[in-house]
Amino acid sequence: MTAQLGALVATHLSDRRRSVLAWGLPLGLMSAFIVAIFPSVEDSISKAVQGYPQGLKEAFGIGQLSNVEQYLQAEMLSLIVPLAMGYLAVRAIASGLTGAAESGRLDVLLSAPVSRARVVAAGFLATAAELALVLLVTALLTGLGSVLAGSGLDAGRAAEGFANVWPLALLFAGCGAIAAGFSLRTSVVTGSVAGLLVAMYVIDLAGRLDPSLSDLRYVSVFKYYGNAIEDGIEPLAFLGVTLAACALAAVGAWLFERRDLAA
Amino acid sequence: MNETPAIETERLTKRYGSHRGIEDVSFEVRAGEVFGFLGPNGAGKTTTIRTLLDLIHPTSGSARIFGLDSRRDSVAIRARLGNLPGDFGFGREASGREAVRLLARLRGVDGGGRAEELAERFRADLDRPLGQLSRGNRQKIGLILAAFHRPELLILDEPTGGLDPLMQEEFLALVAEERERGCAVFLSSHELDEVQRVCDRVGIVRGGRLIAVERIADLLGKARRRFTVELRDPAGLERLRELPGVADLELAGGRATFTAGDLDPVVRELAGHHVVDLEATHPSLEEVFLGYYDEGEAAS
Repeated sequence: MTAQLGALVATHLSDRRRSVLAWGLPLGLMSAFIVAIFPSVEDSISKAVQGYPQGLKEAFGIGQLSNVEQYLQAEMLSLIVPLAMGYLAVRAIASGLTGAAESGRLDVLLSAPVSRARVVAAGFLATAAELALVLLVTALLTGLGSVLAGSGLDAGRAAEGFANVWPLALLFAGCGAIAAGFSLRTSVVTGSVAGLLVAMYVIDLAGRLDPSLSDLRYVSVFKYYGNAIEDGIEPLAFLGVTLAACALAAVGAWLFERRDLAA
Repeated sequence: MNETPAIETERLTKRYGSHRGIEDVSFEVRAGEVFGFLGPNGAGKTTTIRTLLDLIHPTSGSARIFGLDSRRDSVAIRARLGNLPGDFGFGREASGREAVRLLARLRGVDGGGRAEELAERFRADLDRPLGQLSRGNRQKIGLILAAFHRPELLILDEPTGGLDPLMQEEFLALVAEERERGCAVFLSSHELDEVQRVCDRVGIVRGGRLIAVERIADLLGKARRRFTVELRDPAGLERLRELPGVADLELAGGRATFTAGDLDPVVRELAGHHVVDLEATHPSLEEVFLGYYDEGEAAS
């Protein structure tokens, strides 16, 4: 059983080996650029932020931009990295399920003594590993940018900031597994979950901007995302979102077991 | 000899909402038997195969493979069979060797030697990415993946699609060898020549229903034969028209051509004449098959 799971995960990762660099490099280079320019823009940014409306600052989690960690949070970790990684997560799991169904590979895999649940589990685990690798590449390049520019980024806090994106993105992999339980078309799965990702972000944003909508934030995973680069990882939220992602993947596996894999 | 049928279906039915899939399909494939499953595109061949493999779930009825329930025991069943899907694919980037390695790990077997042997036999390139191979060469990889672990049952959906004639011969030889080994083969095809050459029995599926299951020899034996007769006195040919079972009679230049199911009345009639020439031909499987379809269309 473990050997089967290992073989499926290894194959999935091998198929998507380019994605680690294709996503990690641009995100990492962009983050590196952000931390690298911070020393030269620090003063002007701080002054500019003071002039931002309070609501806007709260909505985007911008307090002070007096250090490079705050700047990295505002420019990358509050929006771009979570959205990009959430989208990558659903793309990755869809490639192992609906993509495999479309290419014919799923039929071949399921000619072997492998349960469909195991195929879903392998896709989910491989996606978790892929997300971790992309975040690692991104974090390493960001750290390199800081070292080269002398920005003084705290490596430990930056690592926490990037690591905190992992459960959030993984949750959308779980949603992707559920979507694959209903549709075997990659475009439908990625489109619907990407829509959910954006909707959750917008709900959280609206809840932060308008106190009367703040209760809505409970349905959005972004409520539990926080600001780990400044406040550290919130263990309960990290674990809770990770477990929720696993639960969604389990439901997805259950649905996938029961559906027809039509030609 | 193992008495448990390799495949046994009982009123297997699959409907897609209001659309027909297959209806009340019942048949049996014995161990060591090559069973041809014939029908044109859309008749229900692939639906039957996908139901056997638990890729789609039956609306009603049941299928047992090696005596095991096709749904409940699907994983255990798949450990013992090999399958070539109708539209074989494995992605564009993986090579045949990578696919064999993965399938071997999933099956918990080595199988590398047998895969190499089959690759050599089919002149298959295991090292090129599948996306760079022609359809026929991809199909060879599919055949290797289906057979490399020496399964007890081979399920092959249109296996020779894209194969050149030489490789089709090699494929038929492989099927014969697998049968010798005791492997049952369920072969869906509309290549009637290959079915006639290699299958022990055939099932004919039309409009989602299995309309005949026969040994090839019986199917051909039961079928109406075509006669060409020349008599010294052509006037005697007219009497053939009145014989029971004679049909499609055509008279031209002292010769008659007709079809007949029962030989005896024809022979008795001709015995009273001076027969100059007589030729009787069995129909090909293709003619028999088309006959079933013509009957179906006439009935509907």
